[in-house]
Amino acid sequence: MTPRRVLRILLVVLLVLLVQSTLGLDVRLAGAHPDLMLLLPIAAGLAFGPEEGALMGFVAGMASDLLLPTPFGLSALVGCLIGFGVGSTTGRITEGIWWLKSLVALAASAVAVMLYAVLGAVLGQEQFLNDGLVAVVVVVSVVNAVLAPAAVRMLRWAVVGSGADDTRSSPAGARW
Amino acid sequence: MAKPRRSRRTLTTLIVLILVSVTVISIDTSGRTHSITSGLRSAANDIFSPLRAGVNDVLEPIGNFFAGAVHYGSVVQENHKLQAELGRLRQQVVTQPFEERQLRQVLALQHLPFLGQIPTVTAETLAVDASNFAATIQINKGRSDGVQVGMPVVGSGGLVGQIVQANHGSSTVRLLTDGQSKVGVTFGNPPQQSTVDGQGPGDPMTADFIAPGTPIHLQQVMYTNGLQGGEFPQGIPVAFVTSVHTLAGASQISVQVQPMANLNQLTYVDVVQWYPTP
Repeated sequence: MTPRRVLRILLVVLLVLLVQSTLGLDVRLAGAHPDLMLLLPIAAGLAFGPEEGALMGFVAGMASDLLLPTPFGLSALVGCLIGFGVGSTTGRITEGIWWLKSLVALAASAVAVMLYAVLGAVLGQEQFLNDGLVAVVVVVSVVNAVLAPAAVRMLRWAVVGSGADDTRSSPAGARW
Repeated sequence: MAKPRRSRRTLTTLIVLILVSVTVISIDTSGRTHSITSGLRSAANDIFSPLRAGVNDVLEPIGNFFAGAVHYGSVVQENHKLQAELGRLRQQVVTQPFEERQLRQVLALQHLPFLGQIPTVTAETLAVDASNFAATIQINKGRSDGVQVGMPVVGSGGLVGQIVQANHGSSTVRLLTDGQSKVGVTFGNPPQQSTVDGQGPGDPMTADFIAPGTPIHLQQVMYTNGLQGGEFPQGIPVAFVTSVHTLAGASQISVQVQPMANLNQLTYVDVVQWYPTP
């Protein structure tokens, strides 16, 4: 990975973090708000594969954890697992089918939120498993499903310089 | 052979990332090393806060537009409620001097310290509930303004919460409704003791350790008890009772309470510069 690509990726993470901590917190449905930082590992897994998904999940999670009052490192752990999971399970099946990316983002976001709540409870934050969890799962999953195709394009553009759909299979774009 | 090598490398990367994450979590949850992650968060917040404030100024109108569009019905309803509230407040203004005199007398009778004598720092709320899993607010006053971890935060009619992270120019307040919040309270005459527990955002709070047969009624107000070593000064209104149930054979009454402070209207809050007595 070139320093220029690293810088671009960090800029994307910072940009999404800024939008999440400002506009993202204003949009609330049933007491829950979207989690755009969770979309980054999912999009990276879809666009580039499991290793890139895991790395993006770790970086985005650590950045989130710096600003959240929840256990430090928990978002990074969930992020790398989800990024890896999405990259491993989807392969090239989502290429060319725009709605499949949304479907993957919907399912992966739901799994990620529930995993976060369960791991939080294991770490002594039992209140993570409360009645509001359903609303959080629905809001985060639906918003991420809607934004997933755009997020994949944005990451491809940031990393490879092209939003084309074939970066995962092409020799030049398959790796960061 | 390239594919298996890549799979092995991918798996190694994942394992390393998991190990690093678990190590960081361990450092954060351990009492001895928590200051490391706390310091990192403080530094990150100090850097990020001005950036966020700048972006917020630009994006706030857009956010308000979406919030207004999504919650149009509740905004109209809230407007009606506010008009009714305004009428009640006008009525209160007329009777306030009398009630203030009564309040002073009651406080003097119960030997409660007059809270107005404790210095406070007024702060503006920057962000509400940054996480879907914790009830917190971010305020624009920090260590440079005399705000320290553990200080109580009041506003909008009662106790709001407690400072859990103090950065240089901003702080994080854990609200009463957060699942980690516990406040020692007193109520009734003769005074009874209880603990008000947050149950997480959106869930009603409970008042625990109240024995069956204890005189308690709906709308009863609970105040911080200020016991020796307690985390809050005495006499701050905390919550009022919304439901009381006694189950047969239970060792305590099931009591649900609601915060006295309107936690949905926290544009400004006061940080009480008070330290627990050892």
